Amino acid sequence: MKDDDRKRYLASVTDRFAKGQMGRRQFLKASAALGLAGLGTSMVGRPSGLFTPAYAQDTLKPSEDVMAWLRDVGKPFAGTTLKMATESTPPSNAINSQLKQYFEEATGIKVEIEVLPLEQVLQKLTLDVASSLGTYDLYYIDQSWAASFSRDVFDPREQYASNTALAMPNYNMDDFLPALVDGIAMYDDVMVGVPYDIPIFIMIYRKDIYEKYGLKAPADLPELLSNSEIITEGEGGAMYGTTGQMKSGHYSLECDWTAWLWGHGGSIFNADKKFVGNDDAGLEAMAYWDKLVKTMPAGVNGWTWDGQGQSVAQGVAASMLSWGEFFPYFDDPTQTKVSGLCDVAVPPKASSLRNVEQTGFGEIPGVGHQGGSSLAVSRNSKAPDAAWIFMQWATCADTQALITTLGGGTGPTRASVYDDPRVLGNARVGAGTTRHLNVVRETIANHMGSEPDLPEWAQLSSDTIPVGLGKYFAGGYGSAKEAMDDIAVQVEAVMKG
Amino acid sequence: MYQSRATRLLRTLAGWMVVGIFFFPIYFWTSTAFRSAKDIFNWPPKIFEFTPNLRNFEQVFGVTLGLGPQVVNPGGGNFYMAPRLLDSVIVATFSTMLAILVATVAAYCLSRMQFRGRHHFVNWVLSTRMMPPVAVAIPMFFIFKQFSLLDTFTGLIIVHALMNLPLAVLLMKSFFDDIPAEIDESALIDGASRWTIFRRIVLPMAKGGIAASAVLCFIFSWTEFLFALTLTQTSIKTVPVVSSTFVTSIGTAWGNMAALGAAAMIPAFIVVLLVQRHLVRGLTMGSLKQ
Repeated sequence: MKDDDRKRYLASVTDRFAKGQMGRRQFLKASAALGLAGLGTSMVGRPSGLFTPAYAQDTLKPSEDVMAWLRDVGKPFAGTTLKMATESTPPSNAINSQLKQYFEEATGIKVEIEVLPLEQVLQKLTLDVASSLGTYDLYYIDQSWAASFSRDVFDPREQYASNTALAMPNYNMDDFLPALVDGIAMYDDVMVGVPYDIPIFIMIYRKDIYEKYGLKAPADLPELLSNSEIITEGEGGAMYGTTGQMKSGHYSLECDWTAWLWGHGGSIFNADKKFVGNDDAGLEAMAYWDKLVKTMPAGVNGWTWDGQGQSVAQGVAASMLSWGEFFPYFDDPTQTKVSGLCDVAVPPKASSLRNVEQTGFGEIPGVGHQGGSSLAVSRNSKAPDAAWIFMQWATCADTQALITTLGGGTGPTRASVYDDPRVLGNARVGAGTTRHLNVVRETIANHMGSEPDLPEWAQLSSDTIPVGLGKYFAGGYGSAKEAMDDIAVQVEAVMKG
Repeated sequence: MYQSRATRLLRTLAGWMVVGIFFFPIYFWTSTAFRSAKDIFNWPPKIFEFTPNLRNFEQVFGVTLGLGPQVVNPGGGNFYMAPRLLDSVIVATFSTMLAILVATVAAYCLSRMQFRGRHHFVNWVLSTRMMPPVAVAIPMFFIFKQFSLLDTFTGLIIVHALMNLPLAVLLMKSFFDDIPAEIDESALIDGASRWTIFRRIVLPMAKGGIAASAVLCFIFSWTEFLFALTLTQTSIKTVPVVSSTFVTSIGTAWGNMAALGAAAMIPAFIVVLLVQRHLVRGLTMGSLKQ
């Protein structure tokens, strides 16, 4: 049996066993047939539910070519310690807990990864930049900070070209999805690191509930609203048609807003770089949102993506337009009540859409809001070459395939990884599934929306705009127009400094 | 005083209600540590009906107890936080010891010695508590980086001790004030030195006050977040800082967070138990003046 086939078969067997569709004896038999007799034997003594992802993880190791390159190129830097601050994301967690050991063994370079909530990462990096002390060698840069850090990190294209001795063979910068390079990493022709991860809005819905009401995945925004109304009404309060991430003052609220704004032909800024969230399209989006909120569970304006995801996971809401990263979690039978019941689709089509030329600061309208991040080497790093080696390894195709498989089905930023047999092998119902990734890829290519790049964006997106929107949904304004006009005034004030 | 049966019953009920109100959050938080994600997010919430499991503790402590379905990757999981508990114990213990050591001597001087500007000195000590910690944290970061104290036990212990020092000094000064100065004077007449009086007479009498101050210092250090976040990176981390790392891009691991939180209550609880004998006396010391 070919290795790929063996892995696929193993995944299928494991999944059936985990879901109780296969007995222990059958599972052990199948394991033995796959040459895993030792595994089967070692598990006999355990009490129940014996398979652990740990086995699958053991079989997933970096390619020998990559390891050979690391051993060769990393030798002069043995003994160096690299530090990186990052949000707790699937790629960072997979590298930190399972993959960096291979890098450290091969190179002798120690990697210390500090995992923090997003706002604390920003605080640490800002302090590092302000002090120029180089306490971190690698920066995890959320797409909304690209402009702020553009002068503080190396452009990876220059690094790759300027030091051929350290360049990873077949690194292939062109393999990064062009839309992500534009949307996440580019600012004023500077490449602010390489795309590292790509959470993006996709349509996740309860297939069973949709079938119950004879509905199909919403093709456009009016259909999303009508589907949600039908389910909310039909379920009589037991379940809601959709859900949201609408916590007042939180970045998540701004993310939701942009999806509806862009989907109604609006934009945050116009070509003159003026805030236009309060124009006709912006108000149309607010009117739509007002109606949609009525199909969401009570308390939605206290939730970030965390509560939004849980409302679907625990069967309170039937759909969400939100981060695709949640989908593998929904499929995990040990964590949620909806394993195998959800399906994915590309975001509903926008009613109308502005093009990039009609917006300001490189804003890209699209219902599939992306919240990706890039990885870059700090200009203040004391060991930029060692950090560059790590960065290439962490973002090369082989490592990305491992991250996607081990990190619970997170969306890759490289085109080739979507077709990697290891990734395809996990495309089944179960924890860490990759069965949603085709939709993620299509969303990136055709429906992706990106926030504008400007140094003030971190403040606008995480404070000014969501505070104003939160006030609106709390009844602090008389009308949507009053709210958006006020937000416009505040945005202008921030822009003027 | 005679109390009717109804009054007594009512008083007992009120007592239990107060205890219940204080205890319920602890129960709910601790029980969350024993719940799976499905049980945590049950709607409507189930307070008592859930299937307890140790999975969250297994992940936080990086051990497999063999009671659950999955094997934990020892020391490798993202929620493996056991070493951070030890970091917290070291920082809280040593910063408390340092603060108490310095504060005891300082407080005794402020209570007994007569020197110019003594009262201003007390106000000055108090004023350091009025400064918002966030205003100090960033300059501290630069200073610590220069002195290579960033991300070290020594650095964090010093900061936590400094942070607790004003409170400890003022508390202990009031305890020393409560001990009659005549005792010192008698000993002085008998030929005892200041140091002997402090060590042999005053210190044993102020044990309760020291215990109460130590407990407060320990708890403040145990729960301090801002300095611990700003002045540490990867080498050491305290429980409050790592608790925030359970907030991930795909949701919050409430079960693991609760497991760490429940485990983190134990050391503080042990400290309180150890000094319990002196605590009640210490907390009421200084409340009455002669």
